[in-house]
Amino acid sequence: MHLYKTMKNFLFDQEYFIDIWEDYIHVFGIIDIELLEEYKIILVLEKFSFIIEGLQFRVLKLTKNEILVQGVLEKVMVKR
Amino acid sequence: MNSFLWIEIDAKQKSRFLLKCFKCKIPIYETYEEKNCFFFRILDKDYAKIKKFWFIKAKVKEETGFLKIKKEILHHHIFLIALLLGIFFLFFLSHMIVDVKVVHSNKEIRELLEAALQEKGIKKNSLRKSYEEIEQIKKEILNQYPSKLEWIEIERTGMKYIVRVEERKIENKEEEKTSCHIVATKDGIIKDLIYSKGVSLVKVNDVVKKGDILISGIIKKDEEERNIVCASGNVFAEVWYQVSASVPMEYEELIKTGKKRYNIRFQNSYYDDFIFKSRLNQYVEEKKEFLNVLGQRFFLVTQYEVRSEKKKYTESEALERALNEVLEKINSTLSEKEEIIDKKVLKKEINNSTMNIEVFVALKESIGEVQEFVKEMENE
Repeated sequence: MHLYKTMKNFLFDQEYFIDIWEDYIHVFGIIDIELLEEYKIILVLEKFSFIIEGLQFRVLKLTKNEILVQGVLEKVMVKR
Repeated sequence: MNSFLWIEIDAKQKSRFLLKCFKCKIPIYETYEEKNCFFFRILDKDYAKIKKFWFIKAKVKEETGFLKIKKEILHHHIFLIALLLGIFFLFFLSHMIVDVKVVHSNKEIRELLEAALQEKGIKKNSLRKSYEEIEQIKKEILNQYPSKLEWIEIERTGMKYIVRVEERKIENKEEEKTSCHIVATKDGIIKDLIYSKGVSLVKVNDVVKKGDILISGIIKKDEEERNIVCASGNVFAEVWYQVSASVPMEYEELIKTGKKRYNIRFQNSYYDDFIFKSRLNQYVEEKKEFLNVLGQRFFLVTQYEVRSEKKKYTESEALERALNEVLEKINSTLSEKEEIIDKKVLKKEINNSTMNIEVFVALKESIGEVQEFVKEMENE
């Protein structure tokens, strides 16, 4: 697993990335979470804050620098 | 190996809890909600940290990974131990040899081979050998007895070794002697004479000395040498010996006190001892086998307590004992047609609780020995 992560980091060495699907959003590279509610989530990244608004947000996975959220996405904002 | 825990908390506190987890760097691998409860999966090592969060009441719902395996093992430990023991026992039995059978009509060969096999570790109640070991043992035994064994095959049938052997038959190429006498090896009086070749030079009741020719290989007629053969036959003569022996005048006799105890003796090829500690200091025992499972033998032992008492032989008893000892010793050296003719005690004396005797013994003993001679020398 460690080897896989090392390879992944080596091949895909990004400071952050955000993946958006129909009802999922995956954010990598978060350094803080300002708000975590069912209708709004504010994630702090290195150079900006990432705001998601919608309905029935549910955290599926949460580690020290990434988050996977399920829910109905209505609005996405970047605040510098 | 990572172990995970599924934890259950109140769904109302989930946002606060998730933020706290993020701050404390506790990774959450999976979540779901059900009836106002929030379930999440974490590493078991993080559970201690979560328990410290005062605003939630965490409850372990399920264990996964190594912890689950450990729990299952502990839960079914009796079954697992029995299974392992069963497998071990099966393995042990399938590698066990309970009998070794040597197939051959000659008892001497059978005994010889059984002893050799035992020495090499092929014996009852032992573990079976590998193919390479068997081959090595076969080779070693054949090298050990090159003149007796031609071929060996060790075949395993179930828990038995069947050993087939072929005896080596070497033709007796002993050179036939063409000219020999039968001469006396001892002084004596001739008592019996049986011969198939040659000419007898002595008759019954003749006194002969060591080296005298008894049966000659030279056949003469009217003082003229007609033929030369190798004399053969058996000549028995009365010979005399003086034998001494000594026996102690005192002996120890074991007398039963009437007390008896029962015990069980366990015996196999590695172990032979009582199961219970014997409570008698000195005893004689009688044993009876009551169970024998795969060479594991159990005996019911009756122990009779005895005390030893020092006793003294009378002079006549000691003399009889000493005489018997002498006769037994002589008898063990005699062959089938040899016998003791007469015996007489020459001297007896008692010294330091020991009786010393000297006995004169007359024996009927074979005294003839084949001796070759050279024809030319005889003619001269």
